[in-house]
Amino acid sequence: MIGEGLITGIGRGTMAAWRELGGITVLTGQVLRALVPPTMDRPELLRNLYRMGNRSLPIIALTAFFVGGIMVVQAGVLVRQLNAAGLVGWGAGYAIFREVGPMLIALMFSGRVGSNNTAELATMTVTEQLDGLRALAIDPIRYLVVPRVLAMTICLICLVILGDIIALYGGALFAMLVLDLEYATLHYSLVDNIGWLDFIHGVVKAGVFGAAIAMSSCYFGVSVRGGAVCVGKAVNAAVVAAAISIVLLDFFLTYLLP
Amino acid sequence: MSEPGRTAIDVHDVQLRLGHRQVLQGLHLKVAEGGRLGILGPAAGGKSVLLKLLVGLLQPDAGRVEIRGTDLSSGDEKVLMRVRRDIGMLFQNYALFDFMTVGENVAFPLARRGDVEADEIRDRVEARLRSVGLAGSAHKMPSELSGGMKKRVGIARATIARPALVLYDEPTAGLDPVTTQKMYDLLSADQEETGCTVLAVSSDVKALMGFASELALIHEGRIRYAGSSSEIADSSDALVRQFVSGSEDGPL
Repeated sequence: MIGEGLITGIGRGTMAAWRELGGITVLTGQVLRALVPPTMDRPELLRNLYRMGNRSLPIIALTAFFVGGIMVVQAGVLVRQLNAAGLVGWGAGYAIFREVGPMLIALMFSGRVGSNNTAELATMTVTEQLDGLRALAIDPIRYLVVPRVLAMTICLICLVILGDIIALYGGALFAMLVLDLEYATLHYSLVDNIGWLDFIHGVVKAGVFGAAIAMSSCYFGVSVRGGAVCVGKAVNAAVVAAAISIVLLDFFLTYLLP
Repeated sequence: MSEPGRTAIDVHDVQLRLGHRQVLQGLHLKVAEGGRLGILGPAAGGKSVLLKLLVGLLQPDAGRVEIRGTDLSSGDEKVLMRVRRDIGMLFQNYALFDFMTVGENVAFPLARRGDVEADEIRDRVEARLRSVGLAGSAHKMPSELSGGMKKRVGIARATIARPALVLYDEPTAGLDPVTTQKMYDLLSADQEETGCTVLAVSSDVKALMGFASELALIHEGRIRYAGSSSEIADSSDALVRQFVSGSEDGPL
């Protein structure tokens, strides 16, 4: 009986996951169709760029600054043992540009902007605001979803670029304070060993993560059914889906990108 | 613009199931251009669902819904968008856009058309808000308004673009009797000015009888009465008589 229940549960969960994946794929198709040629509400795009990007900057900057510091402090023990001070700039830069920067900032962005986006769209859905738009002959996908997807993708790319820079300076500051390294050592270690490809690698990841967060947060927002309780469930599902997407996409992109 | 003599709404043998519930069961309804029809009926009888069918937000499982000669039953988005440009709708729960001010909400249908100057939009919004008793509220957010005020903003938004067909879902729910009468007077004056077709759903039997010359009563997805508002109280159907009189004795 327990085995039967387990199999039923796994089957039900798998079906639900495929259903949600199918829904996200259909919504992605609708968004792509709206982008060729681009037909969207530009004021809505600008409004979202401001509130999703500008307002996320302080928290992303703070996180990035200390992430850079943590990496240097963690590396400190090994650097002292191996007398490898010349590798600190390279190590920190490589990890920040390629992995830690895009992934951590994407997770922060998902928690702050993605969850807020799902809650907002889900509330609009359950209070019939999306039907209100349709009744006014306005396609909610073009009016609400497309500007949000674009804004979230653009904002995450910009935030990752800024976050990378801030993390590097955070790392440099902690390296000077904790490891007693000189700024010049860190600087040359970074610029001599890190190429544009490392930077681009992270930027491409940021764009893909931004689109994934946007699609999952918009999908769970517009597909919600029921009342206020369902809004909470939709936010929860969107955050979990975004986190899983980020980790899985990170794995594949790390494998595929040069 | 409305064209007198033409059929504005033609609902033919519509069936609709939502989940496990058969909401509409062979519903027939016709409203002429420029007509004013009131829809009555007990709660959960399919009144609001009918309005959503008329604006294409729901598709019937069987039957046909035609708005001003255009069949909406195919669900073609382009057709629906074209038809909706001539429809104004007040939702039961207002459906005001909570990220916009009251003024922006009311201006929205005009602003989206793209052929009305900003100055004219501002003037019309001010006039419309004044007519629904909300002068000076344009800068407020919907969250700052009471339920009755939101309802009035919804009415202003539904009618500002002077659509050929206006659908009101419970236009006076939550309003006091005096404001209710004022709102129906406003809706009447609007209709006389624009010649639009109006379909209003309400549970307020007395107020609706004063507003609409024709009434239809929906119960369990079927029309139980369709005819003159002055004759509804004398209907041969005991359920209709009970609903109109508000009596506790009867089939309801």
